[in-house]
Amino acid sequence: MTLRLGLMFSTTGSYAALGQSALAGALGAIEALGQRHGHVIAPVVADPGGDIAAYDRIARGLLESGVRHIVGAITSSSRKELIPLLERYGGLLWYPCPYEGFESNDHVVYLGASPNHHVVPVADWIAAQGLRQVYLVGSNYVWGWETLRLARECLVARGLDIVGERFVPLGAVTPDHIIDEIAEQRADCVVDSLIGPSNVSLLRGLDARRTSGADPVQVVSFNQTEADLDDIGTAANGLLAAGSFFEPDAGDDLRTAARRHAPNGRVSSFMATSHAAVEILFAAAQQAGTDDPAAVFRAATAAPVPTVMGDIAIDPVLRHAMLTPKLSIAEQGRFRIVQRADGPIPADPYMTGQPPTPTRASPDPWPNPRPNLRIVS
Amino acid sequence: MRSAPIHNFRGNTAIVLVRSPEIGARIKDRCDRLGVKSHVRSTDLDSDTAAIADILVIDIDTADDAMLPWPRGAAPVPVIGLIGSESPGRLAWALAQEIDAFLPVAGLGNLFSAMVIAHEIFARKADRAARDAEQARRRGGRLDVIRAVLSLMQDGRDEALALKQLRAMAMVEQISLEEAAVKLLHDRGLAGGKRA
Repeated sequence: MTLRLGLMFSTTGSYAALGQSALAGALGAIEALGQRHGHVIAPVVADPGGDIAAYDRIARGLLESGVRHIVGAITSSSRKELIPLLERYGGLLWYPCPYEGFESNDHVVYLGASPNHHVVPVADWIAAQGLRQVYLVGSNYVWGWETLRLARECLVARGLDIVGERFVPLGAVTPDHIIDEIAEQRADCVVDSLIGPSNVSLLRGLDARRTSGADPVQVVSFNQTEADLDDIGTAANGLLAAGSFFEPDAGDDLRTAARRHAPNGRVSSFMATSHAAVEILFAAAQQAGTDDPAAVFRAATAAPVPTVMGDIAIDPVLRHAMLTPKLSIAEQGRFRIVQRADGPIPADPYMTGQPPTPTRASPDPWPNPRPNLRIVS
Repeated sequence: MRSAPIHNFRGNTAIVLVRSPEIGARIKDRCDRLGVKSHVRSTDLDSDTAAIADILVIDIDTADDAMLPWPRGAAPVPVIGLIGSESPGRLAWALAQEIDAFLPVAGLGNLFSAMVIAHEIFARKADRAARDAEQARRRGGRLDVIRAVLSLMQDGRDEALALKQLRAMAMVEQISLEEAAVKLLHDRGLAGGKRA
């Protein structure tokens, strides 16, 4: 049985580096499986180029041609674009990226980190460092909106002050006035949920401030990986990132995949997770004896599957992977892991592990909407 | 920006009234993951069981008024209606019950959204009912306001000044205009002003 597998990553466009890294992981896994089992997976590679409209067209073509499994999508916007098509054609998306949670669709397997894997440990770390004044900046779409909302909730609950919040259009350069505002508001910490050029320009702008004698600002990120760390250069030094995988943990399989398939030769969580996605999919299809998505999913959740990231268990109800979150600090283009969980932690995409809000005790939670700020005319 | 609605239901209890064991099991699994304790039942809901519920999930294809221990439209907790057949008659029943949120049986994966919406709509309904009751109470106090104004006018004020003085009294006491009127009439031993 040769399984036709759609690999749908934007390897061109504004977040191409992430797509290239993820694609390299999947191709590396297919190559490694080919060496052990023969030609078992036939990849169908498609590049939507970061154009949201292209996802529908390309995915439709793949699914109509008989592809039933896709490893792909980087942004949450693109994942949400694919879901209606997966529902219509009965396909299954193996999504390998960290995301903002609050979703569990019957046609998706969520293999990247959930907010309890990234936002919560970062909030704990910020509080433990004694930082006080946090500025939030994110890309202007669901990933940025929701991770910053969660960050605000978690940080306020830990007694920190939020001194500003701004969003930058996807693909745009972060404007100087945001970097000015971070200094004016005397932020000692910036939560950075930007991707692509917005992220690079923010970090370079803050670095320029630092070298000109401004007070240091700790930048934290839920999505910075080695995939585009080189693009930022030394401006990334000191950045703290949360993730389910960092390069120092990579074994031979991933290093080989990076060398052979990644344009920058680096291992990232995008690469490791895509590699693992292919391994799980192949093992489950073999177990199930079919590529039927429902049967493959059942097999994938029956027992933990060995992968380059270690054994991965998937919750059959919420369809998310158990992952071992880590925190790393960037130093001269490398990540140094500074904290890691003792073992795999179930995803909590609905953040039920956080303190609950009142329900019956508060029949009207908004008796009198009082904005924190008043418009002054 | 408005804050997020209530969205963490850990520790809550859900009563699930459905005939289909498969649907019941799937809702129970999801409730478990959301930290919600669930009781799946296929029979009528008694008031003792209803008393422990924070939310009710009900299959509108198979439900009727007799299954619920409260008058139509007066559920004491948020209610989620599961939509199966889409027949107008069943939808009419659900609307008459003033069900707070709807969830297609084919979309049980969105139970969380239905819970968030049901809680929010239920809270708004309670708030609206309290506002309506307050307005009705105040409407009932209009005659006392007129009586109090007339009483104050006997001290030589015109009606505008008398009303202004009554307002000032209400503000000082931090009570409504109607309550101030009742108090004034009571203090002056006049008819009408029954103290609540």
